[in-house]
Amino acid sequence: MTMSAPLTPDIVSHEGNSMVLSMGPQHPSTHGVLQLMLQIEGETVLTCDPEIGYLHTGIEKSAENLFWSQAQTVIERMDYLAPESNSLCYALAVERLLGITDDIPVRANRIRILIAELTRIASHCVQLGTHGIDLGAISVFFYCFDLRENILDLQEHAGGARMHPNYVRIGGVNGDLPQGFLDRLDDLIKKFPGRMRDLRGLLQANPIFQDRTIDVGILSREQALQWNCTGPVLRASGIAYDVRRAFPYCGYENYDFDIPVRQEGDAYARFLVRLDEMEESMRIIEQVRQHLNEPGPIMTTNTKVAAPPKETIALSMEALIHHFKIVSEGFRVPPGDVYQAVEGPRGELGFYIVSSGENKPYRVRTRPPSLYNLQALKGIAPGNFIADTVVMIGSLDPVFGEVDR
Amino acid sequence: MPSTQVPPLGGYATDPTAVRPPLDDAHIERVEVAGLHARLATLRDEGFTMLSDLGAVDYPERALRFDLVYHLLAIPVNADGVVRPKRVRVLCAAALDVPVPTVTDLWQSADWAEREIFDLFGIVFSGHPDLRRIQMPHEWEGYPLRKDYPVRGPARDRAPRPPFSLKSNVTAGTPPSGNTLQALQEEVKRVRGEAGA
Repeated sequence: MTMSAPLTPDIVSHEGNSMVLSMGPQHPSTHGVLQLMLQIEGETVLTCDPEIGYLHTGIEKSAENLFWSQAQTVIERMDYLAPESNSLCYALAVERLLGITDDIPVRANRIRILIAELTRIASHCVQLGTHGIDLGAISVFFYCFDLRENILDLQEHAGGARMHPNYVRIGGVNGDLPQGFLDRLDDLIKKFPGRMRDLRGLLQANPIFQDRTIDVGILSREQALQWNCTGPVLRASGIAYDVRRAFPYCGYENYDFDIPVRQEGDAYARFLVRLDEMEESMRIIEQVRQHLNEPGPIMTTNTKVAAPPKETIALSMEALIHHFKIVSEGFRVPPGDVYQAVEGPRGELGFYIVSSGENKPYRVRTRPPSLYNLQALKGIAPGNFIADTVVMIGSLDPVFGEVDR
Repeated sequence: MPSTQVPPLGGYATDPTAVRPPLDDAHIERVEVAGLHARLATLRDEGFTMLSDLGAVDYPERALRFDLVYHLLAIPVNADGVVRPKRVRVLCAAALDVPVPTVTDLWQSADWAEREIFDLFGIVFSGHPDLRRIQMPHEWEGYPLRKDYPVRGPARDRAPRPPFSLKSNVTAGTPPSGNTLQALQEEVKRVRGEAGA
């Protein structure tokens, strides 16, 4: 199963007391399948060469051979900790190609924002929990996963599945929020501040956690730009770039939220930015919640791209035909290319999509935030201890479904 | 099974100089391979400090077969602390056999992006410090994201399955193929013998 990775010449030919340590790909702290070729001298890392590709599944190739709506299903599996961010970004890109961005109902956009922000909190929960475990803080994991489980329950309630609900669809969302959803959402909103207090209490002032993360893996402002980092990693290095603010989508410009920024650029700063982001996400959710009692359509009325409501199919021949056509041969998208980005939990998630006018995408190129964030490890690991590379990997928060695609 | 896609009608498929009206926030421009590095260097000095992404598209019908797509991002910070970002998309048509100059000297992040394009499309970047496969195994042959690369792998070399028959499964009768326990044991022996030899 393991393949022999040829070492780069400068690793092999290095003179002196150094040796090469292969860490991973089955190492528990690599959060997936990452192999690090570390050239070390004593405990100090001289060079770090991450080997990726163990989880390459050819999602971009698969997407080229599926209908526009089917491709969304595989694309959702890239970032498996925040599936709805992928879905949302892909749907927005296809809607731009179709020219129906302005036809998306307001309520659909609100639900999309709600789901995207819930996803962000759930994803950060996994990051905090596993990051804590890497550093020996076991209990924080259970608090994080309890909170995440509440969010997954909400996702399941709305979309029908815990992990990959495929709830955001091209043209809107798949079905309105079910009965009782808002009560459960209110429960979560009520519970959330207490849980954040717990998380901060367990980690933020924890001297061991601080010892392990402060001044570890410092990524300067210039380095962050050079390595093309985005999301919490970039914002912890002092640059307030957030796609939600820079290139608003789904009506994010109507919500009041702050972009947490830190100047230190170390693992602790990235941790604090993520904690603050979870609270900002909850602020957005509270604002969305105020409008969710207003009923309204949740899907575009353009029945060429969105299947008509189920109840009309039994009554209208036209609706039946549209439904049949969309399911059996998909819909065609005008030729063109578009780049659409959203702010995923890990940073700027982008899709560059080329359409040839067919019922399948011609090319789907993903800009995976994890890939570029992880690449920065080559820049920040040298000069640090081996044990600290574990901290750095955790604080960069890569998801290998997305890195390898 | 080759990819059944047809290239885009008009536009990029036939004319590598085509620039479509933008559907997004980016300013789009096209350059030739010869002027690519100089143009990107100018853009970087103008404030596009991030190479946001680098992708490629395959148009098998064209003489200059590939399109390289450079997404640049400028995130300047004004005096009032407000960030006003800009995007620019640089398209560059590349031939199969002409190397493209690397931009790893301008942006370090181009390292893995160019390796991925080399791996999946087979485009060579001249001057890249460490150009080798990144996603596929190192001994892999072929470039999976090209349009002429099959979606499914070759059929595995396996004995044909016997036609399904409930009766032959229920009764102890020998199925028509060699799919018996004895054949299986022989196969196991054969494999072990090879492994031992």
